[in-house]
Amino acid sequence: MALLEIRNLRAKIQGVEILKGIDLAIERGETHAIMGPNGSGKSTLAKVLAGDPSYEVVDGEVLYQGRNLLDLAPEDRAREGVFLGFQYPVEIPGVSNTYFLKAALNAIRKYRGEKELDAMEFLQLIKERAKSVKLDEALLRRPVNEGFSGGEKKRNEIFQLAVLEPYLAILDETDSGLDIDALHSVAEGVNSLRNEERGFLVITHYQRLLNYIIPDKVHVLLNGRIVKSGGKELAEELEESGYALFEDAAA
Amino acid sequence: MQAIAEQKSIYLQDYEARSAQLDEPKWLARLHRHGIERFEAQGFPGRTVEAWRKTDLTPVLREHFVPSGGPGQVDSGLIEKAGALGKAHRLVFVDGWLDPGLSELGNLPRGLTLAPLSEYGERLPAVIQDALGAFIDTASHPFAALNTAFFRDAIVVHAARGATIEQPVVLVHLLTPGADRRAVYPRAVIIAEEASQLRLVEQFIGADEPFVLNCPVAEIVARQGANVDYYKVQEEGAGSAHLGAVHAEALRDATIHMHSFACGARLARTDIYANLIGAGADVTLNGLYLTNERQYCDHHTWVNHKAEHGTSRQLFKGVLQGRSETVFDGLVKVFEGAQKIDARQENRNLLLGKLALAHSNPRLEIHADDVKCSHGSTVGQLDDEALFYLNTRGIGFDDAQGLLTFAFADEMLKPIRLDALYEYERQALFQRLPGAEMVREMS
Ligand SMILES: Nc1ncnc2c1ncn2[C@@H]1O[C@H](COP(=O)(O)OP(=O)(O)O)[C@@H](O)[C@H]1O
Ligand SMILES: [Mg+2]
Repeated sequence: MALLEIRNLRAKIQGVEILKGIDLAIERGETHAIMGPNGSGKSTLAKVLAGDPSYEVVDGEVLYQGRNLLDLAPEDRAREGVFLGFQYPVEIPGVSNTYFLKAALNAIRKYRGEKELDAMEFLQLIKERAKSVKLDEALLRRPVNEGFSGGEKKRNEIFQLAVLEPYLAILDETDSGLDIDALHSVAEGVNSLRNEERGFLVITHYQRLLNYIIPDKVHVLLNGRIVKSGGKELAEELEESGYALFEDAAA
Repeated sequence: MQAIAEQKSIYLQDYEARSAQLDEPKWLARLHRHGIERFEAQGFPGRTVEAWRKTDLTPVLREHFVPSGGPGQVDSGLIEKAGALGKAHRLVFVDGWLDPGLSELGNLPRGLTLAPLSEYGERLPAVIQDALGAFIDTASHPFAALNTAFFRDAIVVHAARGATIEQPVVLVHLLTPGADRRAVYPRAVIIAEEASQLRLVEQFIGADEPFVLNCPVAEIVARQGANVDYYKVQEEGAGSAHLGAVHAEALRDATIHMHSFACGARLARTDIYANLIGAGADVTLNGLYLTNERQYCDHHTWVNHKAEHGTSRQLFKGVLQGRSETVFDGLVKVFEGAQKIDARQENRNLLLGKLALAHSNPRLEIHADDVKCSHGSTVGQLDDEALFYLNTRGIGFDDAQGLLTFAFADEMLKPIRLDALYEYERQALFQRLPGAEMVREMS
């Protein structure tokens, strides 16, 4: 059974169809990359998978570990192990990063019938994970993403990923806007979390991230459709020729 | 008009019947008389009176509220609440009557006077007599006028020059079912002499069943360099009407911090008047109101900068559920010559109920040229993106709502400088939040 299987997924926002029939399967342990120009529907796909209520799924299905993902509320998707790293992480004034993560982790553990962590265990865990993704510890006490730099926000997403340990991680342009150091530590963070069980869907606009996170498969998304899939060499091809090459296929 | 004229005479009749029985000092009788005259001159405000336009007084006008004739039975829940703020110098009133058993007046420190007016008899110090009724504007506030006409036993709080009063003073006003269709007129006069420090809580609690008309008035004077924290906690029963007024007078370099926490009563309004009459005075008015169902909750403020180098800060926040309705209406007035003042006023409302309605009307009136003033207001719902973000981290919808609402409201609780009160208000907030259990566990 595939970890994630998307079949003919079509989705609308405000009456406009953005995803026009997506097919994609990710096995456990695999890392897939989705590349595509701005506006091609990458974030839409990510948000639909995470359950953003502003999108309307008009056709198709998504199976996650054999279950119908689209039937689940967004919080239950998270509890089942789906994680979305946002392209634009949201600021939550007045709620500290620590508090927020504790609520998240314990909600997930409770759902799975696991014991909630006590304050000490939790603090130990987040300190260790913050270190592993080189997140400044001071940011733990600050309100979620508020006043964070672009790089800090992205790192914070990877930090949450490291704490919540999902089975499927969808990372939406986690690389954009990062300097080379940040890019390195984000990639390191992701690579250290790759294992037999876990799948990654790495969405990116540029090929450079894929020099550090080597994908098993690359898909090109154009105008709401996957127009080509291939191995990691497809990313290099794109880097050289640009998306123009595929535009005929998308039309 | 007919109805209003009739209302007037009922309250006047009550007054006359009562004053015939009372044997009180002349000056006090004069003050009461002044109150009823002021009330008679204006009557209850109709919807044409600008300051009362939004306040629907119909339920109050339909009844005739005779002054409460004695204390009713207090249930254990209310007794527990009355003691919830822990160690304090405490006076407890039941339906307007002092309950010595519930009060705690032992070990009053040097420099603090805390007593009902009745204890003074004829020998009231001039400083108290001069302050009582000297500030509150009975001409434009009919309920303050009624209070002035009918209050039974004012509470006197006095901090002597230079005194630092460590423990808070807590005035508890408790309403029982016995006060149904009765009026209660709590009155406090609070004087902080030069360089003294005083923290005071006025706590209004009550049973849900009775329809009580509660019209409290507090007058606060902070003399030169004094520092007063005044917290008003209005948590009355669901059936009551609370129409109160607070007047604060800040002299040179005095600091007054006020905090109004309102979540009770069916119809609630607190009018706050703050005069910065000495140079360098510093006044903060904070408020948090939590409403539900068909509650109406109103804060009117008047901040008058009458001297230079004054600072005023106002932040009122509301969390509205159900079909509740709230008003924040604030006027900051900078008088001629009040240069170099810094005044800020802000009102933010969070609508959790689709049918809830928040009115916000912050106003500035400036007659000086070298001043810094700002005001603003917002009315909005929880941010969908933030909710979704929390959901994607496994936090369910109710919990996410609760968390974001708590974060919004907690900003108003953080400045509370009394731990027990902070905890008390947090619990009151939790009780009204969706997903409160998770939020409570987490914070
Ligand atoms: N709220 C919205 N209302 C209408 N159109 C939207 C909305 N959000 C995104 N779109 C449109 O959907 C398309 C795909 O957007 P998106 O998925 O963000 O692309 P990408 O992530 O690939 O840059 C774009 O044309 C964009 O304008
Ligand atoms: Mg995008």
